[in-house]
Amino acid sequence: MAEKAKDKTYRLHLMVCAGTGCVSNHSYEIKEALEKEIKKHGLENEVTVVPTGCNGFCERGPILVVQPGNIFYQQLAVKDVPHLVEEHFLKGRLVSKFMYTPPEEKKPVPVLNDIPFFKKQVLIALRNRGLIDPEKIDESIARDGYKALVKALTEMTPDKIITEITLSGLRGRGGAGFPTGLKWQLVRNAASSNGGGKYIVCNGDEGDPGAFMDRSILEADPHAVIEGMVIGAKAIGATAGFVYVRNEYPLAVQRLSIALDQARDYGLLGSDILGTGFDFDIQIKRGAGAFVCGEETALMASIEGRLGEPRPRPPYPAQSGLWGKPTCINNVETWANVPMIINRGAKWYAGIGTETSKGTKVFSLVGKINNTGLVEVPMGISLREIIYDIGGGIPGGKAFKAVQTGGPSGGCIPREKIDLPIDYESLTEAGSMMGSGGMVIMDQDTCMVDIARYFLSFTHEESCGKCTPCREGTKAMLDILTRITAGKGTEEDIGLLQDLALSIKDSALCGLGKTAPNPVLTTLRYFRDEYEAHIRTKKCPAHVCRQLNIYTINPETCVKVGRGCDVCRRNCASDAITGQKNEAHVIDRAKCIKCGVCFDVCNFGAVKVD
Amino acid sequence: MSNGTFEPRLVGFLCNWCSYTGADLAGTARMVYAPNIRIIRVMCSGRVDPQFVLKAFREGADGVLISGCHPGDCHYQEGNYKALRRHRLLSKMLEQFGIEKERFRLEWVSASEGTKFQLVCNEFTEQIRKLGPLNLHQNGGRHEQGQA
Amino acid sequence: MVNLTIDGKQIQVEESATILQAAKKAEAKIPTLCYHPVVEPYAACRVCMVEVSLKGKADLVTSCNTKVQEGMDVQTNSERALRARRLNVEMLLARAPAAEPLRQIAKELGIKKTRFAVKDPEEKCILCGLCVRACEQIVGASAISFIERGTERKVSTPFGEPSEACIGCTACAYFCPTGAITCEDKYGRKVIHEEMYLGPTTAIRVPSRQAVPMVPFIDKEACIHFKTGECKICAKVCDREAVNYEMDDTLRDLEVGSIILASGFKPFDARRIPAYGYGRFPNIITAMEFERLVNASGPTGGKVLMANGEEPKAVGIIHCVGSRDENYNAYCSRVCCMYSLKFAHLLGEKTKATIYDFYVDMRCFGKGYEEFYHRLLKEGTKFIRGRVSEINDLALTEKEEGKLIIRVEDTLIGTVRRIPVDMAILAVGLEPSVDHNQLAKKFNISCSQDTFFLERHPKLAPVSSFTDGIFLAGTCQGPKDIPDTVAQAGAAVSEALALADAGKVELEPITAEIDDELCSGCQICVGLCPFTSITYDKDKGISVINDALCKGCGTCVAACPSGASQQKHFRDAQIFAEIEGILLV
Repeated sequence: MAEKAKDKTYRLHLMVCAGTGCVSNHSYEIKEALEKEIKKHGLENEVTVVPTGCNGFCERGPILVVQPGNIFYQQLAVKDVPHLVEEHFLKGRLVSKFMYTPPEEKKPVPVLNDIPFFKKQVLIALRNRGLIDPEKIDESIARDGYKALVKALTEMTPDKIITEITLSGLRGRGGAGFPTGLKWQLVRNAASSNGGGKYIVCNGDEGDPGAFMDRSILEADPHAVIEGMVIGAKAIGATAGFVYVRNEYPLAVQRLSIALDQARDYGLLGSDILGTGFDFDIQIKRGAGAFVCGEETALMASIEGRLGEPRPRPPYPAQSGLWGKPTCINNVETWANVPMIINRGAKWYAGIGTETSKGTKVFSLVGKINNTGLVEVPMGISLREIIYDIGGGIPGGKAFKAVQTGGPSGGCIPREKIDLPIDYESLTEAGSMMGSGGMVIMDQDTCMVDIARYFLSFTHEESCGKCTPCREGTKAMLDILTRITAGKGTEEDIGLLQDLALSIKDSALCGLGKTAPNPVLTTLRYFRDEYEAHIRTKKCPAHVCRQLNIYTINPETCVKVGRGCDVCRRNCASDAITGQKNEAHVIDRAKCIKCGVCFDVCNFGAVKVD
Repeated sequence: MSNGTFEPRLVGFLCNWCSYTGADLAGTARMVYAPNIRIIRVMCSGRVDPQFVLKAFREGADGVLISGCHPGDCHYQEGNYKALRRHRLLSKMLEQFGIEKERFRLEWVSASEGTKFQLVCNEFTEQIRKLGPLNLHQNGGRHEQGQA
Repeated sequence: MVNLTIDGKQIQVEESATILQAAKKAEAKIPTLCYHPVVEPYAACRVCMVEVSLKGKADLVTSCNTKVQEGMDVQTNSERALRARRLNVEMLLARAPAAEPLRQIAKELGIKKTRFAVKDPEEKCILCGLCVRACEQIVGASAISFIERGTERKVSTPFGEPSEACIGCTACAYFCPTGAITCEDKYGRKVIHEEMYLGPTTAIRVPSRQAVPMVPFIDKEACIHFKTGECKICAKVCDREAVNYEMDDTLRDLEVGSIILASGFKPFDARRIPAYGYGRFPNIITAMEFERLVNASGPTGGKVLMANGEEPKAVGIIHCVGSRDENYNAYCSRVCCMYSLKFAHLLGEKTKATIYDFYVDMRCFGKGYEEFYHRLLKEGTKFIRGRVSEINDLALTEKEEGKLIIRVEDTLIGTVRRIPVDMAILAVGLEPSVDHNQLAKKFNISCSQDTFFLERHPKLAPVSSFTDGIFLAGTCQGPKDIPDTVAQAGAAVSEALALADAGKVELEPITAEIDDELCSGCQICVGLCPFTSITYDKDKGISVINDALCKGCGTCVAACPSGASQQKHFRDAQIFAEIEGILLV
């Protein structure tokens, strides 16, 4: 049973980030510690602790935001809690040592909205993040949750709803960017067959490595997704819905499950919703560890209990989906956008973004970047703004090299194109794709060939194995790339890689196979020189491919600066370094296994890698 | 007839379908058997009225045979069962008249049992021979022995 | 109808056709591996991909499952299509180098070797999924499927264990294009001689090559449709829609005027004579089995072969098996001598074996029969007169090792002989058919001593039974050969026709009748009548006999206390008179 909204007003609300990232960083313990401290000081009736979904600034977790005032505390530890409680919550004095100081700045920025990471973000799908307890439906409702549902069910016809979505320009946020309104129209028009009934599916099988947009939405604001699905169901005439969540998201499943129960209790889901006579309910289906089940036809097969492999399209799910009935599949983020569009109107939504890509997109900013986290930005924002203004630039002042968008299906965009505006078309033109929103930043120490190899190893592992080009082709490409990174590449390899990539792109059965060659194609396009270096000179310019590295010790630096400290010899696992204190140490190349430990441990920079 | 072996006079009621045909078979197969039996054909052994048996004895028969189809094979389904019942009851009654049980016989002979018929006739004849003549009309019956 | 261009050739096909089907019509050859017309297309091998241009867009599509569209321009061997096809085939060649259809396609594409790593040079499975689809869609058993992902993918049963859902139909092996699936018979095969049908055979089949009518039947026990509800492939391929799975045995009531019984015979079961070793030695066979063996449509195509597949060097034919034997059947089965001679002749034609014929008498009664016997004498068959006492493999000398020894008293020279042969043929006699006794009861037919049906008169009415309107024909009445059977059949039919032709039927004249005056209405007779022909008339207070039902058994007559019931021609008075007359002397 959902708790009824408390009439109590608190002086302070402590919003503790309880997204998976911060939870794994002990934010629940911090929450308990806070509650204990508050009780100790007798402040239980004035100060309340609220666990929320992911705040987004994951680099700085665990995070605590104090409301009112939006005071942003970061990197808290349990031992910090007593001091914080006493200082801020009891005595009212902000604690600056827990605040965030941007890299170039000297002084901390106390208020969240002033922090550069947050300033340029526009929150639509993540509108409630950090502001509500996702396990309390009342808090969602207090922030306009289910307001759009009421409007859609009582004031709008299905056609009107579809028109609104179409005019908003919303496109599928799962990666392909298919116009959502059009998809809904197609499903609505599709003739019912096989005994009637249509289905709504929410694709929560977020599989890209490093992507956690959908996870965060489900953990922070599951009601947004539910509300979107009910509105969609009303629009297309669906009778039942499924949320397919990957099994590796237990927290998301838990919160979604609680949210569904609470929605049903309030009559917002189930039979005769809000007394309008509309029946619709949602079931959770968990994945079983297959990336390929994020592909819509494989996903549907998985829901039906069959082998999780894709099938040729046509027929498209809109015509024949789950159990042969018309099915509308949309991504979590797409569904989360729907209520806002209904509430504030298509025109408002279409006013954000570019000509062809409206609204905002959630990106997971990861890799070689100062501010790792989750951001939601309007379409059309440039890569430069994301990387430097929001992301805080590359750590260690290193040079930006490339950004991989769209995960293993996407491609890398080199530094020359850093001013590219983010939208579906421009990314595809550059050889990459929007994808589900993963953004991996790479610096000068990233080997692009290795990146291609890494992504290929992922797609090869996850290939369902049905069609020849993907099953055999990803293996073939992976073998070649592995050879190249091991220094065994030949001149013909690049040509073969290119041919394979184009052939696989042409002949693979599903999206996984068709886009698997993208990392190869884009790295070949923009970083061909790195390939050639690996093949011709057997060298890795970024020194990532260890087998190609040659480690030497600069004798002068070792003796003069390091005084033969002997740290490297002691750490060498293969006894390849000889030398004594105060003497220049030498690496025996025959024994050196190129693990790079000596390079890492030398405090004086005497170890050189070539 | 007066001196020498006593030749029994036997009457046989044979059902048309089985026993009569069986007897015919014995004949066509040139089987040799005692000529003492005189055959009266009825359609079914169930036709045999007890009165026939009594009449036969009264007219001077030394032995009476009823022969029909094997149980279950009666051409008219159940006639032979009725013959069986009648034979049992009649036997008891005849004993009370002083007529030996052995003189009234019931047999089952099928259409293919020429040999059985031969056996039965021979056996019956010998049996009655040993028993001797019935002499029912010792004291003034309508027909005396030897008289036409 | 849809118009499209394939390799520059304009054609028109049905709307529902796939590009592959259209290509077949346009005589453009597209290689396939995972396609089969009888199962759903899978589009997994990607070898059938062609380049399709429609409305300015050019893409590669799989031709096996893509439906045609108006205005499509299909290039089956464009540069793009060929590049994809060649690379896919080359990669598959690394996976399954020993798959013959794949090698064939590679050869046609000019691919001599593969640049990719070969894991198993003997691998045949190309992961086409035809076996899985056949098992699911045609058979309906779903006993196998794909397991594991990516390059580890393979076909298996659940957990690799023998599947309970597998019905052993071997459809998977049949559909496998490369022979990667084989089926073996784990429990050994029976010796060919013991079988009348050499199995396995299809569930829908014509009973034998020379069956009349030449129409297939469905063996419900073997048919997959009756096991799983699926398949129905026979109905799918039949143009005339002649297959009907709902057909069931129906009981029909026919009103007929006459019946001809022609229920035939069954061969004597040679197992009843243990001394002859039938059933213990694979090369001792019955005459019926030899007939099958020697038939061109038989298991060996007409060759005379032993169980091990070799030709016999010596064959013995034994007469009078189960006939003329007081232990089994006392009668002579009439046909065995002649068919034994036929066997001897055939053996002479088909093999170089030494032929021994063990006879008791040579019954060559018919036209040309004696002459045929003389011919055999000339052909070198060794005739030995004597009833064979036993056949076994207990060798006493080295020459007898591995042979079947026939032990017989040669009555013409008065010695007991041991004849070693490779194969022995038992000339089994004829016995009435299996359901002979049931028929006899049902139709009220008497049987003669030899247990065959009894004819009304051996000379004058050989085709009639004792019941009017029921006739006998063929071996159910007694052993006889074909000419005699045909003659008897003709006779039975003409008798039956004569009966029908007469237009009227003679009724039994010997029915019983009840004298109204004498009947007291005691109703004793009513219950006695087996044909329920007597009813009690309440109004008149007497019993009445239905003339049409009365068969004339006379039971009611015997039971009637008042003598009211009398049988025509067998009246009490008449019988009394008979008794009197019979004992006059």
